[in-house]
Amino acid sequence: MNNRLDPKILKELKEYGAVGIEKCFNCGNCTATCPLATDDYPFPRNVIRRIQLGQREHLKRQLDPWLCYYCGDCSNTCPKGAEPGETMMSTRRWLTAQYDWTGLARKFYTSAVWEIGAILFVAFCVVLLFVFFAGPMETDHTALNTFAPVHAVHIGDWIMAGFLSFFLLTNIFRMYLFTIVQGERTPIPISIYITEAWHLIYHFITQKSFDKCDEQQKGFIKKTRWRNHWLLVSGYVIMLIMIVGFLPWFQTENIYPIYHPQRWLGYYATIVLLFGAIDSLWGRIKKTHQMHRFSHMSDWIFPILLILTTISGILVHGFRYLDMPLPTYYSYVIHLAVLVPMLVLEVPFGKWSHLAYRPFAIYFQHVKAKALEQERTSEAFASTGSD
Amino acid sequence: MVIGACAPSLHEQTFRNTVMRAGLNPYLYYHVGIREQDSWVHSDDKEGATEKAIRLLAAGIAKARLLTPLEPIHLGAERHALVIGAGVAGLRAALDTAQQGIHVTLVEKASFLGGRMAQLNSIFPSGEAAVDLLKQLIHEVVEHPLITVFTQAKVTNVDGYIGNYEISIQQDGRGFQSDIEAEALMAACTQEVPNEFDYGITKRKVIYRACKNCYPPLPAVDWENYNGEPIQVDGKSIVLKNEPKLFNIKAGAIVMATGFDPYQPSQGEYGFSELPEVITLPQLIRFLALNHDKKELIWNGRKVRDVAFIHCVGSRQIEGVDEPQPDGQVNNYCSRVCCTATLHMIEELNKLYPDLNIYDLHEDIRTYGRGHEDYYLRVLESKARFLRFTGTERPIVMAAPSGDTHPVLVHIKDTFTYGDEIEIAADLVVLAVGMVPRTVDDLVQMLKISRGNDRFLLEVHPKLRPVETSVNGIVLAGTAQGPMNIQESLTAASAASAKVATLLGKSKVELPPFVAHVDADKCEGDGICIDICISEGALALVTFGENGNEVKRAVVTPANCAGCGACVGVCPNRAIDVQAWTLAQYEAMVDAIAMDYDFAEEVA
Repeated sequence: MNNRLDPKILKELKEYGAVGIEKCFNCGNCTATCPLATDDYPFPRNVIRRIQLGQREHLKRQLDPWLCYYCGDCSNTCPKGAEPGETMMSTRRWLTAQYDWTGLARKFYTSAVWEIGAILFVAFCVVLLFVFFAGPMETDHTALNTFAPVHAVHIGDWIMAGFLSFFLLTNIFRMYLFTIVQGERTPIPISIYITEAWHLIYHFITQKSFDKCDEQQKGFIKKTRWRNHWLLVSGYVIMLIMIVGFLPWFQTENIYPIYHPQRWLGYYATIVLLFGAIDSLWGRIKKTHQMHRFSHMSDWIFPILLILTTISGILVHGFRYLDMPLPTYYSYVIHLAVLVPMLVLEVPFGKWSHLAYRPFAIYFQHVKAKALEQERTSEAFASTGSD
Repeated sequence: MVIGACAPSLHEQTFRNTVMRAGLNPYLYYHVGIREQDSWVHSDDKEGATEKAIRLLAAGIAKARLLTPLEPIHLGAERHALVIGAGVAGLRAALDTAQQGIHVTLVEKASFLGGRMAQLNSIFPSGEAAVDLLKQLIHEVVEHPLITVFTQAKVTNVDGYIGNYEISIQQDGRGFQSDIEAEALMAACTQEVPNEFDYGITKRKVIYRACKNCYPPLPAVDWENYNGEPIQVDGKSIVLKNEPKLFNIKAGAIVMATGFDPYQPSQGEYGFSELPEVITLPQLIRFLALNHDKKELIWNGRKVRDVAFIHCVGSRQIEGVDEPQPDGQVNNYCSRVCCTATLHMIEELNKLYPDLNIYDLHEDIRTYGRGHEDYYLRVLESKARFLRFTGTERPIVMAAPSGDTHPVLVHIKDTFTYGDEIEIAADLVVLAVGMVPRTVDDLVQMLKISRGNDRFLLEVHPKLRPVETSVNGIVLAGTAQGPMNIQESLTAASAASAKVATLLGKSKVELPPFVAHVDADKCEGDGICIDICISEGALALVTFGENGNEVKRAVVTPANCAGCGACVGVCPNRAIDVQAWTLAQYEAMVDAIAMDYDFAEEVA
């Protein structure tokens, strides 16, 4: 590895929202206090030090930033006010931009013009699609599927899902290259990737590492940060599954009875998404929690888009029940004009990409640990054999 | 009177004063140290210790019986002090001494006043200009009616003793007929040598003015380097000749303010003198003093983007790791000023060239003084990066391969980064060199003063007599004694001058009477004692007229005698004794110690 220092990296991280890194005098309080740091992953100090010095290659290969869930204990105990927690957050943004081969992530994170311009551009494209291709607007009664035929929208969904999956997966592959392939001396056997794969699924579903962040609390209900985040994710996953997998069932002229899963699943997802997004936004406005003290542009845009999506979705639903055709159609266009840019831009290139990077980081962490363990065992075996 | 108590070093004088108040001669007192010599060292054997205490006290009593009244030695003293070295410490010592009404002769080897401080620019912790502060001090010194200043001069001989030193001073000739001629000769001179004032980064003529604001502001001839070639002025061909002048003065005390030299890294130490991009901190200070108005920092024809500072060069050396100095020792001491000086320099560079990347490679940061830690904290919060090495794994400085973006690479195992090997590409490497004492072998020989293992001049006791040397009447001021910053040098100089004033204030000095004494009746004048004597001028054979015959007798000059007793041991006639420590007293003590005692009875 090239271990030459690159002094430019500190300035670069500042563009991603880092503050106070220069103040750090390497005492290590942050790592000592972190409930998630280990001997092999001594973050935040490990991350801050690499940035402070300018060890670009080292930083690119780190999984550490993704293993942090930003409880803020480090920043609270930092004697110099070097804001280690926010450094971890900024490094996640920076890493997202490193993984992204299109270079869009870097533009979105470092330029408000690019970020907002891109959202407006995609929204404009969505509106254009409706202007040119939408069906007739029946005004005597609400016929959403005539205005926006469900099979056409469904194909659009799949195209969109394919688009964002393609970019997200290629970026994950680059993450794999940086953190595993370039970081390891010997290739890791495929079997380890298979035996350790359950970590990926388990952590994707449970976000279990999060619970260590409020360690003093016991149980799912009391661990508020984990709980709120888990609820938000569950709402988001349900919505995604319904939209991408079962749109004809979801976007229908039928009005199902209230006990039907289509109704209560939809309401559940709407409530938790709205609650989660408002909670996050409110926290950032009030700055009560350490993790909300610093807000990068991307931290504002994401919950705002989420709230707008949810509210416009509620409006579509409400107007349709009240059988108000035109408001239904307009709010539907607005709903998609917010939803599509949010998904297309935030999932592969933005803040939302962490849904993949975090579980993958934990997965890679276990793969590396397992490989090292096997290597050591075989070395020990070899040395015993030669005696 | 005999007292059995702690070691005499602390309270002997207290009890002498008590005895004196009681109307006795103060030297009719003997102090037995039964704490350090007995109770503390034998705490495991109480009975044995008690027996030893009895024997020690018995010996003390036996000696006390033979004590005779003595008088301290009174000497007349010249109210005149010699200060050697006109750096900031010498200037301060001279001024403080003169302000107490004592004449001062200030001797400086260089052609200007101010010493090392004149080479500094902005100084910590106040950020003031060194030159401005010096100007004020020099002005006061040269205006003072009681101070005589010699530049380009050296002390060639010292005789005598406290209160009565006889000193020879040799001053180089100016070499010019007039100031006008001096300026013309300087303009016409072509012979150049490396300029030691700028630590070799510039050149100067052999007829030169050391610096712009130097005092005295007259050109001087560098007699050591001048090749004797004629210089052409106005069609005349002039050959300069050094006609030194000799001055003899009498002084009561001598202040050693001979100062320090910056450590000169050895060939190849961190690439020094092999790579042009490796320089010392004093060189950088001079460079910036000459170039601070430039928009860019250009070194060796290249714009400097990355600078690495390395601390502790020539200081805190480790035996077995570092090359020993010429005397076989390593400089294991901390030079104390280089840490804050380096941080101060980094702060200056940050202000002058905000785009510079600065790396600070240290073993420890020792910003011990008031306000010094603030430099560390401020630099810490600038973008300067701190890396830490260990004493046994120092950074390695090497030339970069051709085609590299930078000329020099520094490799360091950084303990702040989990011991990782890190490479720094630099345009300039600055070695924060420590202090070594000025070479003053001739003066040390002449004055018989001691040096420590670190070669700095040594005080008698670091706490009880911190500015006095083992030779009465010779005191230390400033960095001749050890690494000090300007503030500390000034404090030491003021202390030295206070000591001088105490010695010379009454125009006479008082010395303890524990010196050799010759019994003229027993002395046969064979002179063995004179051969063995190590204190120059303490013993001499003097011819007396006795009953019409000329006889030789040993005579003691008490002021020069150290009271070592070497002469006592060699005299075949037992004619010489150290007062208050006579052979008879020793014999009585030995008898008392060796006597049989019935301790059971005594203790009961």
